[in-house]
Amino acid sequence: MSTPRGADASVDNVAGRDTGVLLEHLFRHQVGRVVGHLARVLGAARLDLAEESMQEAMLRALQAWPYQGIPENPGAWLFRVAHNAAIDSLRRGRFLEQNSSVVLAELTRSTSIVSGDPVVEEQLRDDELRMIFMCCHPEIPREARVALSLKTVGGFSVREIAGAFLADDAAVAQRLVRAKRQLRDRRITLDLPGAADLDQRLDSALETIYFIFNEGYAAHEGEDLIRRDLCFEALRLGRLLAASSIATPSVHALVAVIALQAARLPARIDEAGDLILLEDQNRESWDPRLIALGFHHFDLSIAGDQVSEYHVQAAIAAVYTRAADLRSIDWRAILELYDQLLAISAASPVVALNRAVAVAKVHGAAEALAEIDALGGNPQLRDYYLLLAVRGHLLEELGRREEATACWRAALECRCSEPERRFLRRKLARI
Amino acid sequence: MPQYMLALYDDPSGWKKLSPEQMQKAVEKYMAWGKKPYVIQGKRLATDLGRVLRTTNGKARATDGPYSETKEVMGGIYLIEARDYDEAVERTLDHPHLEHGTIELRQLFS
Repeated sequence: MSTPRGADASVDNVAGRDTGVLLEHLFRHQVGRVVGHLARVLGAARLDLAEESMQEAMLRALQAWPYQGIPENPGAWLFRVAHNAAIDSLRRGRFLEQNSSVVLAELTRSTSIVSGDPVVEEQLRDDELRMIFMCCHPEIPREARVALSLKTVGGFSVREIAGAFLADDAAVAQRLVRAKRQLRDRRITLDLPGAADLDQRLDSALETIYFIFNEGYAAHEGEDLIRRDLCFEALRLGRLLAASSIATPSVHALVAVIALQAARLPARIDEAGDLILLEDQNRESWDPRLIALGFHHFDLSIAGDQVSEYHVQAAIAAVYTRAADLRSIDWRAILELYDQLLAISAASPVVALNRAVAVAKVHGAAEALAEIDALGGNPQLRDYYLLLAVRGHLLEELGRREEATACWRAALECRCSEPERRFLRRKLARI
Repeated sequence: MPQYMLALYDDPSGWKKLSPEQMQKAVEKYMAWGKKPYVIQGKRLATDLGRVLRTTNGKARATDGPYSETKEVMGGIYLIEARDYDEAVERTLDHPHLEHGTIELRQLFS
């Protein structure tokens, strides 16, 4: 999926049309809606039942559709079958507790609602939103928030999450169990945040979404396909928040950063799977729809006087995107934005490294090298291949070729992806 | 042209391990295969294990399945056309079911 079609579809046309083919990621995207809706009716304490019911509906689809064809409205089919599975489980008494009869009545009523009706669509979006806020609750640790959001709202499996984060399946499963325990212990509900806790809960949701995006975007190791899916899932979640009544300028800023950066995804890797630096990228292959989407949200983010980390990141991405070619990138503007970013975000060393690249463009390699060497003492960056790769590049520019070679050799020892490794080897061969 | 029956066997618990994305991909692959020109029809069997009927001590009676010890059960059947077994095998080798289970191929008597 090199276009945002999947992202569009999930937000604007979830119900699907009878085209004889399934919308891309339909199953995955239906998980958030159906589980969100079921969990609201069943109560947050029955989240497991909601998930099992949706799983059951997908298994039924797997049995029926290949032989009978795709139903007219596949999303509504899954919705209805999942409801019936939940009703069956409740009746069988496996989950029989207090207020079951009230829940059963409500479930039976909502089984017959028609997906596609605008009022119903709004209710379903609202249910999914509640689910996002529950999974991203600030009282849950970030790693667990990420895993829970991807599983429960994003429809990723434990194995897929593990594949994206280079963790083993058991560790991810454990994280989910702990997250659910925390939901119970802290009595976290599916209520939307109120005026009192809106800022805090929104921040937590944005942080979770941005983290998911960065994990997908940063080219370390892991399965490429899943990582790209993470980027688009983050975009989908961000757009869900942005379309809601509680969207703030920061939400739009986050969607802008994600869309503008994701627009460059298809240009980052060449046909042989090799990494292409921003300055060598073919701008023709940047995704114009994502760029348009990014600028749309960038414009919306300017309302009000709030300047979040996402605002500055979006502004940086916008400078790169607006430049017609490499020569016309406004590096002074980028440097200023990095200064601003360092002032408001808790001095992330990676931001400082990116700033050093801008310093090199504005003030020259020698000055940038001094900045990088000052960063080298940071334990977070000591074995970071990108720091060494950039340092090597600056040394090469200064004509210190032996040192540059040593730097790239050291970078090869660090954790990095195959394309990055090949990139460094090419550099070494050329010097 | 001779007709062949494909009996699809699998271990149903295996499907539960698939992610939603993998399930969708599986649906799409099965559907694409089912649209091939030589496929006459396909039928899914209900997920219960059926009944076995046999005569014991001169009396015919039915008992509940399963009738075999293996975990694999027959989940669906297809009818296809092919000139001979070689062609039938060739036309079945790319069936996506082979990622999940086994296929028994039998020629229909004609």
